[in-house]
Amino acid sequence: MGSPLPIEVRGLLRTFGDLTAVDGIDLIVEAGEVFGFLGPNGAGKSTTVRMLTTLLQPTAGIAKVAGYDVVADANKVRQSIGVALQDAAIDPLMTGTELLHLQAVLHGIKRRSVADRSAEMLERVGLTDAGDRRVGTYSGGMRRRLDLALSLIHRPTVLFLDEPTTGLDPTSRQAVWEEVRALNNDGTTVFLTTQYLEEADELAGRVAIIDGGKIVRDGTPGQLKRAVGAPTLRVDVDAAQVEIARAALTAFGDERPAKVNRVAIGLEDGAPVMTEVLRSLDAAGVVVHHLELDEPSLDDVFAEATGRRLEGASDAVADSPAR
Amino acid sequence: MTAIASGPVLGGLLRRSVLRLRRMPSVLVPALVMPLFFLVSYSGSFDGLTNVEGYGTDNIVNWMVAWSLMMAASFSGSGASGVIGTDIDTGFLDRLLMAPSDRWVVLAGPLLYSMVRAAISTTLVLIAAALLGADFPGGVLGLLSTYVGCAGMALAIGCLGSWVMLVMRDVQAQALVQLMIFGGTFLSIGQVPVDFMTGWLKVVARYNPVTFVLRLIRQGFLGPVAWDTTWPGLVALAGMTVLFGGLALRTLYRYES
Amino acid sequence: MTAVAAPDVGARDPAGPALAFRQTLSLSRRAVISTLRKPAAFVPGLFFPLLMAAVYSSQFDRVTATPGFPEVDSFLQFILPATILQGVAFGSTIGGVEMAQDIESGFFDRLTSAPVARPAIFLSRVAGSAAFAAVEALILIGVLTAFGARVSAGFGGVAAIVVISVFLAVALGGFGLAIAIRSGNAEVVQGIFPAIFALLFVSTAFFPPSLMKGWFRVIAEANPVSTVIDAMRHLVIVGWSTAEFGKAIAVLVAISAVSLSLAYSQYRHRVKA
Repeated sequence: MGSPLPIEVRGLLRTFGDLTAVDGIDLIVEAGEVFGFLGPNGAGKSTTVRMLTTLLQPTAGIAKVAGYDVVADANKVRQSIGVALQDAAIDPLMTGTELLHLQAVLHGIKRRSVADRSAEMLERVGLTDAGDRRVGTYSGGMRRRLDLALSLIHRPTVLFLDEPTTGLDPTSRQAVWEEVRALNNDGTTVFLTTQYLEEADELAGRVAIIDGGKIVRDGTPGQLKRAVGAPTLRVDVDAAQVEIARAALTAFGDERPAKVNRVAIGLEDGAPVMTEVLRSLDAAGVVVHHLELDEPSLDDVFAEATGRRLEGASDAVADSPAR
Repeated sequence: MTAIASGPVLGGLLRRSVLRLRRMPSVLVPALVMPLFFLVSYSGSFDGLTNVEGYGTDNIVNWMVAWSLMMAASFSGSGASGVIGTDIDTGFLDRLLMAPSDRWVVLAGPLLYSMVRAAISTTLVLIAAALLGADFPGGVLGLLSTYVGCAGMALAIGCLGSWVMLVMRDVQAQALVQLMIFGGTFLSIGQVPVDFMTGWLKVVARYNPVTFVLRLIRQGFLGPVAWDTTWPGLVALAGMTVLFGGLALRTLYRYES
Repeated sequence: MTAVAAPDVGARDPAGPALAFRQTLSLSRRAVISTLRKPAAFVPGLFFPLLMAAVYSSQFDRVTATPGFPEVDSFLQFILPATILQGVAFGSTIGGVEMAQDIESGFFDRLTSAPVARPAIFLSRVAGSAAFAAVEALILIGVLTAFGARVSAGFGGVAAIVVISVFLAVALGGFGLAIAIRSGNAEVVQGIFPAIFALLFVSTAFFPPSLMKGWFRVIAEANPVSTVIDAMRHLVIVGWSTAEFGKAIAVLVAISAVSLSLAYSQYRHRVKA
């Protein structure tokens, strides 16, 4: 008997009145993957996550998580998943330990294991000393780590992280990333949505981009970047030599927009032909002041796929549809 | 240091406030619902108070209407602080303060507006009281006394509210102003004369300036206007206005520091 | 990669009524803790009725001697039921407000994405409000008794008043919950506050009906709140009456049936959405 896929989605559709938030998507996440799910606000990202985490019923289509149908076997799904939602929804009046105990009971963990398991989780995310403080006194980074601990208390096989580092400072972000990597090394499959392309690049083995409710790109970050096209080569020269440089360079690819005294092209065959490019410039007598070769980033992939840029989208707005 | 005349600026600010009222007359409703509700429910509920010796009237409406008027006037006053609070929130106040006019004008506009609102709400409550069967032996002078008392109360509360707003710099502080209004009017002769009270309340209500203003507003309902009732009310109003207005101005002139 | 490991069921209790009960209990505990740790949310609701009791008993004591006023020790004794009713009624909105805050913050999603028995999340809110109402009623009775108000029906009377308070909190709180679950917005829930206020003031809570204006008395006596108040007042100023107590509970159970089924249907709609 084949083991079930952590996430398997076929033709998943969700409408809110006239609005189609998720328009018949297919997705497969393999065991042990960190899967990055990207999309601009309102693209259907959160709606998809809500359906996969049993918070919202699909209008049509099939979604299976850990082999269980999210509608028919919702409770089985809930037992198998850990969920850390966007805004680190934590009651500020409770202490970290109290919240972990509550979460443990909600997941049906046996009474005698509750305290041990809570302590273990606090330890794991480095909050042992803060366990008896009210969550209201925690910093943003501490909240996220507690959030992570809460979502892990029942040792889920599939972990959903909805924008786990939005609004965090770089140090706290690093800490969360470390923890996600460690979890993944232990065999936990991670479904990650993020506003930060850097984060997806850093963590995800595979990425899907959703826009207008449809999956518009799907693959490893490397594949997606290569698909965007050639890297950009920029060469700075004297004003008098711009035309000569242009003539020499356009032999290697189409010209791209550039600032004054600079020529930019899409270098079709990439880095391997750089020696040739330099030789040709030299032959034309061009004096190069500065030169750079830029590989496409995930940001370029995103921009090409959705027509929008995400960089620095730090003040993330929830993309849950109006209800 | 006055760069331009204050009169036209004041007029402009008042016009702006009144325009708001004309475009959104519904802002009057919340400020009137509570006073009218209390007028009806207190008159209906506490009718038996008139059986007690020394209540001062045998028609409960005559007594309760003053409290209702006072509340409506106070809410009109807190409307002024609402304008200032919103201006602080939206940053419009900064724009006003950068204008080359005298600063007191910034306060005076909303305060005048609150008095206009008080005149409207007073008229509406008076109509309700008449429908409930209130008497009015005080005649024209009594009516004048009621209107002056209500407008003065709106001005005094407007000053208080503006001060609170300028100190707290948060439109949410409106809740604090409402609480002060409620406390001030509740611990006074709103429902019964001072002689009915016992203990601490008797002391508080006797010297509460609101008590004197209530007598001023109420006198036309109970009998002819008397100077002995009138002047303490006017003094109480003047005192509150000078005190709170002074504090508000002081805060306004030091707004940047 | 390896297969998905089976969920760690070894340390789990099997799903069933026992677990559902345990979950309800834990969630109720959390509801009460959250409420008690936020004194700013409930202290005004206790303070205001006590202030009113103090002011009214100072103002209205003379009325107790006039013909038509029931036999009482003092106006404070007369107003004791109204004070408790007011405090509990104000407090009854807290459960709804907190539910709405849970929805706003996403905590509700966290709860519903856990394998929790669905009714547990709802029932724990109701149970939490009920427990909180009992605490409030005891505090208010304690304070007023310290100032000399006497409950004629003794400890049994106090117990009955606490029970009535609990039912009242559930009955009124149900409307707050319904609005909270539907709107998911704490401010909207607070919007029912004026309605509760009006319901209390147009009742026999603050003055004997015999001394009201005729038309007002008709409305006040038709108000179901008056039935509850009259029962509590009987326990306070006269003595034990099973009939009065039964009437109050019957009215509250009827209101609860309406408000809770309204709230629960909203709840089912939301968790299914």
